[in-house]
Amino acid sequence: MRIRIAAVVMLVGVLLAPQAPSRAATASDTLVYVNDISDMISLDPAVAYEFSGVLVAQNLYDTLVAFEGEDLTTLKPRLAQSWRIRDGGDVWQIVFQLRPGVKFSTGRPVTAKAVAFSFDRVIALNKSPAFLFKDIGGMKEGDTIAVGSDTVVVSLPKTSSPQAFLSVLTFTVGAIVDPDEAMAHQSGSDRGEAWLRNHSAGTGPYMLDRWDPESRAVLVANPNYWGPKPRLSRVIIQHVPESSTQKFMLESGDADIAADLTPEQVLDLASKPGVMSQDGKLLQLVYVGMNVKQPPLDNVKVREAVRWSIDYDGIIRSLLRGGARKVQTIVPEGLFGFNSSAPFQQDISKAKALLAEAGVGGGFTVEMLVPTGPAPGGPKWADIAAKIQSDLAKAGIKVEIKETVQAQLLGVYRAQKGQMVMILWGPDFPDPDGNATPFSDYAAHSIAWRNQYNDTAAATLAKQAALEPDLTKRRTLYKQLTDKVLHEGPYIVLYQPTKRFGLRQNVQGFVWNPMAYAEFRTVSK
Amino acid sequence: MGLVLLGVSVLTFFIAHVVPADPVLAALGEHAREDQIRSYRHAYGLDRPVGVQYLIYVHRLLAGDFGISIRTRRPVAEDLGEFLPATVELGGTAWLVALLLGIPAGILSAIYKDRIFDHLARIGSLIGASMPVFWLGLLLLGSFYYRLRWLPGPGRLDISAIPPPPRTGLLLIDSALAGDGVVFWSALRHLVLPGLTLGLFSTAVIARMTRSAMLEVLYQDYIRTARAKGLAGARVVLRHALRNAMIPTLTIVGISFGNLLSGAVLTETVFAWPGLGRYATTSAISLDFPAVMGVTIVAAVIYTTINLVIDLLYARLDPRVRYE
Repeated sequence: MRIRIAAVVMLVGVLLAPQAPSRAATASDTLVYVNDISDMISLDPAVAYEFSGVLVAQNLYDTLVAFEGEDLTTLKPRLAQSWRIRDGGDVWQIVFQLRPGVKFSTGRPVTAKAVAFSFDRVIALNKSPAFLFKDIGGMKEGDTIAVGSDTVVVSLPKTSSPQAFLSVLTFTVGAIVDPDEAMAHQSGSDRGEAWLRNHSAGTGPYMLDRWDPESRAVLVANPNYWGPKPRLSRVIIQHVPESSTQKFMLESGDADIAADLTPEQVLDLASKPGVMSQDGKLLQLVYVGMNVKQPPLDNVKVREAVRWSIDYDGIIRSLLRGGARKVQTIVPEGLFGFNSSAPFQQDISKAKALLAEAGVGGGFTVEMLVPTGPAPGGPKWADIAAKIQSDLAKAGIKVEIKETVQAQLLGVYRAQKGQMVMILWGPDFPDPDGNATPFSDYAAHSIAWRNQYNDTAAATLAKQAALEPDLTKRRTLYKQLTDKVLHEGPYIVLYQPTKRFGLRQNVQGFVWNPMAYAEFRTVSK
Repeated sequence: MGLVLLGVSVLTFFIAHVVPADPVLAALGEHAREDQIRSYRHAYGLDRPVGVQYLIYVHRLLAGDFGISIRTRRPVAEDLGEFLPATVELGGTAWLVALLLGIPAGILSAIYKDRIFDHLARIGSLIGASMPVFWLGLLLLGSFYYRLRWLPGPGRLDISAIPPPPRTGLLLIDSALAGDGVVFWSALRHLVLPGLTLGLFSTAVIARMTRSAMLEVLYQDYIRTARAKGLAGARVVLRHALRNAMIPTLTIVGISFGNLLSGAVLTETVFAWPGLGRYATTSAISLDFPAVMGVTIVAAVIYTTINLVIDLLYARLDPRVRYE
């Protein structure tokens, strides 16, 4: 018995004994990025459309053109060294000249045929991001033609915007995949989809070493990379769902970057040694949609009164701890055509006067659907809803909050059955049309449709702006549209969140792209 | 067992289908186009009547096919194979913790009834049974990992460790088979904090059950007789009293094993443990019913098997129990 007890004591002692290697900072050639990656379902660029999948795939593959850093207004060459848009009669033609001498991580050269294969593959597989090519670009299989080995011509119908399409091409859906590698692993007719789910065949600065679902993804430097060698040869994206645990790891030196800290945790980092915080821009808008066929929300004055009742500054200051920007128009800051007009801040007497003019001076009751869990920027959706409820109560509007899981909420919202619905929107591609059309065009069957906002003038403006090649005119059109929807539309844009990271102090060169990913090749420590 | 599984599958399937929300919307999100939703629904057979869907499901299930997860878009069997071993390792550790701490604490409490050890053990049990797991996990992580730096942080392995090729999925066994001492050691150390966190509740329950069962037995005539015969105290307690006291305790021990194995979402969340609990919860929130069905059926199999084992053990412990 005594021997057994002694053995147990020894085992416990040894288990608890400090272990030097695991307690040191992360390896000098490795970046450890902790993040909730439970949404990762595939790393195939024709399939990935979730935040963490896109984050990884953007580092494994290159696109023809790219937005670099935080700038989403200037296209930069990537695998294409130049491009031009030409009028091909019935169609727009975008001609890309490929960068010479680029090889895939497999060692094979990048050719025009690989580009045509990759684009056709997206359309044929028809997974989540395929609509960017099919609907936004209006493309079909065969619309991408290889001319020789280094020139690619993409034809788009005249109803599509070539500018918007070029923005789409900066996203993972426009990644170029090694056709021989993909087809060598084809299963059935999947063009290598099952294999590429957890393998890579791209030209990006990194290659996929391994992905253990709900655990981690490990990226290693691509020896054939055409650009400057990545500063760190290994990136580990470690799955840590709980933000407190992320913070423990960051402060202990076991993580270099923590991606999901709450606003309070970020503030707390300021008093801790060896760590710092960094903000990243996001293109999301948190908004409340008002169904304009549900009286009294059908009255434009009532909607305006609701907008004047809310304490936007208070939401950003108290609930988000400053982790958001006050934006009230439908195109977020960071995109071309952003309109900084933000006239609304709580003015209860103005709100009451508008309600009286609308004939509902005695107030009214309205139901607001709110998702469960945290909203972008950290606070719970329900907490923001409670703040709005108390704000609107001051103007005599009684809000009944209905907290609903997202899938159920979307079902109601999509069926045009919501009264007020609080939710977020992020553009599918970094062009103002990614917001303008969904928010303004009823026929697009998106947000305007869900709120039954059918304004022909707004829809026409959105269409004109999308197709306008002259940038000055385009900017003017977006100004007109955003001003109009700001006052007449069915939306209360509450804020544009900021993503806040915790970093070890020796981490440099980390840049968050507002399309919600980072390029790790620039990071050093 | 077949009947139980049939009942479980029918109930879960129909409950999953009466939820007034659309799993396809959960999977495709807000931006999905109508045609995309239609083709997705068709691909998963969700456009058929519920009864037909159930028959197809059962038909496939009998062939060992759990279907494709709507959320992860992988075969559910593959997902279960990925996440179940992590849960078995964690749940097994927690169960061992509960047994090794709970049973001795219960015995000693009963022997030293109303003395200082008994009071301390009862207070400990009360705390163990009432402390929220989430908070306990953060407390242990904050103390032993963040402050004292005695134990490793979250996950099943150190970040720098490379897992061995999966054979059983159980890292301790796989690393032992591969002869990889570094990974084995890392995996063992990573089990300590989540194992304690998860095991503490069961420890408290087992300790209280053992104590009350022991108290009942210790005042029986045959114990008095054994003592009167001059047998040593330890021998009386361990050979004579414990065997009988274990019969009611066994039920609790078995049930807690089932509970621990069917997932522990909060512990898994705090310790970033890639187990079945988080998989089940995320699947339920996403209305991913093939995955929910898969987890439920696995849990039902675990429970029925444990019940069977407990019943057989009754017979071993108590000669009066016989199964014809």
